[in-house]
Amino acid sequence: MTSNDLEEQLREWREMIDKLKVTFQKLGGPLIFIVILAVIGSASSFYTIDVSEEGVITRFGRYHHTAPPGLHYKIPFGIDQVHKVASKRRLQEEFGFRTSGVSDGRSTYVSGRFADESLMLTGDLNVGDVTWILQYEISDPWKFLFHARDVQRNIRDVSLSIMRRVVGDRLVGDVLTVGRVEIADEAKRLTQEVLDRYDMGIRVVTINLQDVNPPESVKPAFNDVNAAKQQQEEAINVAEREYNRFVPEARGRADQLLSEADAYHINVVNRAKGDASRFRSIADEYRKAPEITRSRLYIETMEGVLAGMRRLTVVDERLQGVLPIFGSDSAALKKAEVQPR
Amino acid sequence: MKAIFFAILFALGITAWNGVFIITEGQQALITQFGKIVGEPISQAGLYWKLPLVQDVRVFDKRILSWDGDPNQIPTKDKKYIIVDTTARWRITDPVLFAQTVQNENGVRARLDGILDGVTRDIISRHSLVEAVRNTNSILDRVKAKQELAENSAPRTEQDEALEVLEVEEEISGEIEAIQVGRERLSDAIHERARTELVSLGIDLIDVQLRRIAYEESVESKVFSRMISERQRIAEKIRSLGKAEEARIKGKMNKDLKEIESNAYRKSEEIRGRADAEAIAIYADSLGKNPEFYTFLRTLEAYKKSFADKGEMVLSTDSEFLGFLKRKQ
Repeated sequence: MTSNDLEEQLREWREMIDKLKVTFQKLGGPLIFIVILAVIGSASSFYTIDVSEEGVITRFGRYHHTAPPGLHYKIPFGIDQVHKVASKRRLQEEFGFRTSGVSDGRSTYVSGRFADESLMLTGDLNVGDVTWILQYEISDPWKFLFHARDVQRNIRDVSLSIMRRVVGDRLVGDVLTVGRVEIADEAKRLTQEVLDRYDMGIRVVTINLQDVNPPESVKPAFNDVNAAKQQQEEAINVAEREYNRFVPEARGRADQLLSEADAYHINVVNRAKGDASRFRSIADEYRKAPEITRSRLYIETMEGVLAGMRRLTVVDERLQGVLPIFGSDSAALKKAEVQPR
Repeated sequence: MKAIFFAILFALGITAWNGVFIITEGQQALITQFGKIVGEPISQAGLYWKLPLVQDVRVFDKRILSWDGDPNQIPTKDKKYIIVDTTARWRITDPVLFAQTVQNENGVRARLDGILDGVTRDIISRHSLVEAVRNTNSILDRVKAKQELAENSAPRTEQDEALEVLEVEEEISGEIEAIQVGRERLSDAIHERARTELVSLGIDLIDVQLRRIAYEESVESKVFSRMISERQRIAEKIRSLGKAEEARIKGKMNKDLKEIESNAYRKSEEIRGRADAEAIAIYADSLGKNPEFYTFLRTLEAYKKSFADKGEMVLSTDSEFLGFLKRKQ
């Protein structure tokens, strides 16, 4: 590009500016005003709705339409107004405790207790310490915005009231142990019922009981009951263990005793039968020749008996006092009066 | 000409600035002229106009508003001091009446406080505590069902029965009396009465909720100590029941042992007795046919056994065995 070209260019620009100046002078202030308005207007007439939100648009204060997420245009200067509502977000209310934030991927809680919220009377006029959460969604952004002023507070008030009503119809024992799910379900149903009556465009997603405890000062006593249950079971177990240790053994020994008796029975009877049978056989033969058999048996027996003796003394029947023969060993003395029949 | 133009421009400016107004959703309004209400109240959202400078717009909320009461200490009919915390929801239904009677929301607060606190106190103190705590008598049905279940579940031992009775007793520790009204109907009663009083203020009371009912502090500590003593009672009962069960088992063990042993002894003696009897019968049957021979035979056998050892024997010459010896002499 030569310097001539450049000069030419500059001159053209200058002429253009001059022309513009003339135009400005002709039209004057109003044009500037319009331009400024146009700039402000276009800048404030675009708006975006986030993915989790919906936008309720009012024109001259009146509901116009609901805008989905994305970039939208509206009439500026306060004619159209956008009310953004986080209708897709799951919102949560906490009762009896507060989450303060998240650190290291773990929720941290506000220290201190919210006993006003969590302490409640049970049906048997005891006190339970119940904490819970309520999760809800805005089901109708328009109703949410324009049917009630302080929706969040209303939700809290209703949930506090309903939870007490539900817990108030139960025994402290049920509340602390088996009733949790049932309580949450019933509380959710009733809370939704009441909120529907207000028509605030709120849908209760879930109510979840967190800690359900007896009041702090009563806790040790409740724990003691649990400990007592353990002790009770233990005592019973120990006793049953003892029982199981001795009784089966005793049964075994009883069976043994019976078996032994049976053995005795068999033994005695068989022997008797054997003896009887033997005797019968002998007696049969004996009857055929009683005299000679009798003598034979006697002599044979005596033979056997006398043969086994270490010393045999024969004394005359008329002899008086045989003692001197045996000295003092009188125990060994046997005066045999062997008299065959 | 120029003056007229500026006058018109000025009038338009004033109208735009003071004569046109917007009522948004959730609002209602009245137009007043020097304090006097003009025309109908505005209840629809939109763009409206009024005479500038001369007329005023008074805007009211059309939405549900909430009223939050101070926790009140109220004695119940059964002389229990409790703290009752109520909330209510209300709405301005007649802005004209509202504007006339209470002017604005600040004005209405004091009136609401007065009426709702009074009615609440009145109704709570005319009922006993359980009426405000419990809503229905379902708790009694539940207790009954539980007791019936405990009674009907068969078969079972005495021990199970005792444990079940305890379980029921443990759960039903406080006083359970039937209620006549119930929590919800109490708050309805408060609502009904307060509502009729509030109609004259142009207000519709939507509902009243008993947000919180708690024991008064000094009562609370008494309740806690009652709960503690109750638990202790239950714990002791559980323990002693355990010991009782232990003793019962041990007693049963001793009984069973004795029974088993003595039964076994009895049976074994019976068997042995029968055995002996049988043996005697057998012997008697066969030996009885020849008792004399048996005595002889058995005596000989006894000799054999009695004189079996290598002892010494003295025989008298008059014994039969030596009969021959003597004769030869």
